[in-house]
Amino acid sequence: MSGGVGAVADDMAAVMMGALRSSAVRRARLVAVAAALAGVALLGVAGWFLTGAALAGLAGAVAAFNFLLPSATIRLSAVVRTGGRYFERLWSHEAALGALAKVRVGLFSTLAQRDPRRVRALMLGDGVARLTGDVDVLEDAIIRSPARPAALAGGVLAVALALPAGLAPALVLAAGLLALPRVAGWVAATFVDAPAEAAQGRAAALKAMVVDQLAASAEIAVFGLAGRVSEAVMAEAAALDAARMRMVRGEGWLSAVLVAGGPMLAAAVAMVAALTGAGAAVTALAALAAAGGVEAQGAFVRARGRDAAMAAAAARLNGLSGADTIDWAMPDGDALEIAGVRLAAGGRLGLTGLSGSGKTRIIETLAGWRADAPQKLLLGGVAVGDVRFEYLAQRFAIAPQAPALIAGTVADNLRLAAAGLDEADLWAALEVACLADDVRAMPDGLATWLGEGAGELSGGQRKRLALARALLAVTGGGRPWLLLDEPSEGLDAATEAEMVRRLGRWLDHTGTGTGAGTGLVVATHRPAVLALVEDVRDI
Amino acid sequence: MSAGLAALAGGSGAASRRALGWWILDVVGALLFAGGLALTIGCWGGLVPVTGGLLSMAVSGLVRAVAQARAADAGMQGAVAMKAALRAERLPALFGSAFARGRLAGEDAARAVDQIEATEGFAARFEPLSRAARVAPMLVAGAVAVASPVAAGILLVTLVPFAVGMVLAGGAARVAADRQLGAISRLNGVFADRLRALAEIRSFGAEPRVARQLASASDEVATRTLALFRVAFVSGGILEFLAALSVALVALYCGFNLLGLLPFAPPEKLGLTAAFFALALAPEFYLPMRRLAAAYHDRQTGEAAALALAEDLPPLPVLAAPAVFAGVALRGAAVDYERGVRVGPFDLAVPATGLVAIMGATGSGKSTVLAALAGLRPLAAGRMDWTAGGAAAVAWAGQRPLVMAGTLASNIALGRDNSGRDNSGRDNSGCENLAEDDPVVARAAEAAGLTALLAGRGGLAAHIDAAGSGLSGGERRRLGVARVLASGRLLLLLDEPTADLDAATAAALRATIIDLARTHAVVVATHDAALAAAADVRLVMP
Repeated sequence: MSGGVGAVADDMAAVMMGALRSSAVRRARLVAVAAALAGVALLGVAGWFLTGAALAGLAGAVAAFNFLLPSATIRLSAVVRTGGRYFERLWSHEAALGALAKVRVGLFSTLAQRDPRRVRALMLGDGVARLTGDVDVLEDAIIRSPARPAALAGGVLAVALALPAGLAPALVLAAGLLALPRVAGWVAATFVDAPAEAAQGRAAALKAMVVDQLAASAEIAVFGLAGRVSEAVMAEAAALDAARMRMVRGEGWLSAVLVAGGPMLAAAVAMVAALTGAGAAVTALAALAAAGGVEAQGAFVRARGRDAAMAAAAARLNGLSGADTIDWAMPDGDALEIAGVRLAAGGRLGLTGLSGSGKTRIIETLAGWRADAPQKLLLGGVAVGDVRFEYLAQRFAIAPQAPALIAGTVADNLRLAAAGLDEADLWAALEVACLADDVRAMPDGLATWLGEGAGELSGGQRKRLALARALLAVTGGGRPWLLLDEPSEGLDAATEAEMVRRLGRWLDHTGTGTGAGTGLVVATHRPAVLALVEDVRDI
Repeated sequence: MSAGLAALAGGSGAASRRALGWWILDVVGALLFAGGLALTIGCWGGLVPVTGGLLSMAVSGLVRAVAQARAADAGMQGAVAMKAALRAERLPALFGSAFARGRLAGEDAARAVDQIEATEGFAARFEPLSRAARVAPMLVAGAVAVASPVAAGILLVTLVPFAVGMVLAGGAARVAADRQLGAISRLNGVFADRLRALAEIRSFGAEPRVARQLASASDEVATRTLALFRVAFVSGGILEFLAALSVALVALYCGFNLLGLLPFAPPEKLGLTAAFFALALAPEFYLPMRRLAAAYHDRQTGEAAALALAEDLPPLPVLAAPAVFAGVALRGAAVDYERGVRVGPFDLAVPATGLVAIMGATGSGKSTVLAALAGLRPLAAGRMDWTAGGAAAVAWAGQRPLVMAGTLASNIALGRDNSGRDNSGRDNSGCENLAEDDPVVARAAEAAGLTALLAGRGGLAAHIDAAGSGLSGGERRRLGVARVLASGRLLLLLDEPTADLDAATAAALRATIIDLARTHAVVVATHDAALAAAADVRLVMP
């Protein structure tokens, strides 16, 4: 198992490296380099051309002045710079989107190999949003990856164009261009990273505060406290704004390195050229090449402000693929023991108790989703916490209290339960769950599209769809136990009674050949549902 | 609403005008550089002009660095002002109506935080840059015209194909976006959606199938997004092309003018200094528009967020606390929710004093009954009759009572003196100082069983933070009960007062509540059989 997880971690790194070596990135780098070269050449050659032309005009040597080459270079540079920028954007996005597809699948597979009991905390609250945010940061890094070779090429060409003015100006320019990213890196680390991190923390604190206070929305309304609560929130938000303001100032410093660097380096190059007695035309070439060379560093230098966020995102994503090595125990048979109640295969138990007493915890601990039920829970004589998740998943079909339905059709949601289900299977399960009539009444039947979280359905319909899905996991996947958490919530008494009747018949006629039918553990508040079970345990 | 957002961003006009001022100084910096370089090259060999020129170039760098940093700063100040104004306008209504609207807390929190943050870039960057893009190119053209009117004319003439190209490309991009964006955002959402359902997917062993789905959805996102970008990037390409073309045209015109080789008779004879000045300024002409294009994403994000923020929030009824409460009766009452879900009809008579228990399964509508009594949910059917007087302000304690930064006393006093004030009323400044000395607060704290907490914490003046750190679930619940008592209101609504508490804490709180019901009308929504057993009136929701 640990070998598998390690391989996945390597895969994630490999996906990133692969994206940076993909043909699209190589193409993007190539055109970015061409655009940077053209940008430097356009300014430098134009300056040299002007000066040369003026001197030739003054000297009356117009006929001897070769204007064809520089004017062609200028026109070519204009076209190459434009095309280069367009294709750089297009191809770097192509590379990023291709990598994104792989990173998403890789991340999903990585998480799907972890034990859900270990990564539960990752998925709660804002967890999923943070994961997708981290993936977006990586995408951004890939889009920016051509900036480095472009900066390098632009810098090298600028130095080369400064050489005709003499070795000294060229060396000054080279030293300046080399210093630029280092100064920028220092400015980013000193003025940007800390405020950026603080702003992120403040944003999270603000969100937590708002969520906390929205939980007391009834008191806010009843006591007329919205004004005071808003003021408290605004005070916290002002702290966020202040942190963001510091970050913007830091980014201003970072950008100032570039903005001030270009003209000052151009002035320094021209000054050294003047001191060493270079000609006007070559000095013009060198000075404008210096300005263009600094401009070519722009995207690369500005990206230094995102280095820290990028490193943090990459570290978080890499941290997902930890190893869950445990000496798993192997259950002997399918008998259950739940808080002292023994159930043979095919047994049926109802869990009752006040809300908050831990019924859901028991159901979800049996399913291997969490490990915090205080009761003794044994499968085949072994504590379920010591049984590997994949084994538990093959034993239990669960319809949880708050089922996660996927964005997709009704059929997509049902087919999650098992591979190779045909429409007759789906309808049969919907009939038992008393949802078939509802689905028939939907505009596209089984093909009706459900949005994120199936918000179109009522709470009761969502519960019954999840029930139908769990039933399919028993019939299609041969699981001996059905776990239900408040299956009749949101149903009227008549529908509830009908569902209980159909479910009872279904339990009797399914099962894995023991003749005892399918086993059931159901948590419920409702007395009618308890008609399904042989034994009741009050938690 | 984009007009609304622009008005809001412009509403912090002073900051935006300051930003424009700094961008104009940036143009001055560009003039210094072009002038310095032209002087240096044009008077090559002359000590004074070259020294002055070099100095001017070096200074221009500093001027532009300061100007651009200050412009960003001013833009951000405008954004901070706009966000503060948005919060002041939206948050009270959002918090005040949150319960009545019954949305998911996540959705409201996103509106209160994320969507307001999403407008930042619009005010901080897009708005000042769009002002600068209207002014700065004309200043540059004007400066070029001083040296060479023809070069300035060339720059201005390139605006014609630029405008035509942008309109055509913008139209094509919109058509492409309309065709693709819906599908792209839906497919993009699949990733987060499947991560949220990961537990179920794994329990059903569906991960290989879902991974395949994800791969094909992501590939389709890539294909469709690229199709969109191929068109969308064209406007950027046009801008880049004309920026490069204008520099090339100015360079070629000036060069051939200097050589005297133009195929037409130019109206001017350029010197090297003038020509160089025009050339060095030429890239500045399109620069403001290139900056604006880079901030275009800020505009889209800001407008989308503004649209989400614009939803009308229902106003809240303002009820006065009555001097007497003599009972209220709900007859055939029903409350409607979205998608045709109806709770009720139900009948309930709440006496002047005594304990009323509302029971039923999770989701059966217990909280709805409380909301109807509080006037937070309108009745879709039936009637509510008050025995004496009109609708009265009630007191409410939830499962996780509100805690604000302040003292224990100020938190208990939150329910006092707010009646008759609307939800944006702010005039509570005097309350906090008085709360510790308020005998009503002290009595309420004692009656709610907070004595032990007070002893351990240092009395009513003990400080608590906004997260309620250090308060146990039971203590927080008691704080809510104390607040209800201190409010002076006579109809007390308690939502699941004993849920999720350990047996001893629950028993103590139960005793407190039963005691309260001797002097107040107390309505509890509860699963607690022991509490329900002590009730004078019971309503079981089906």
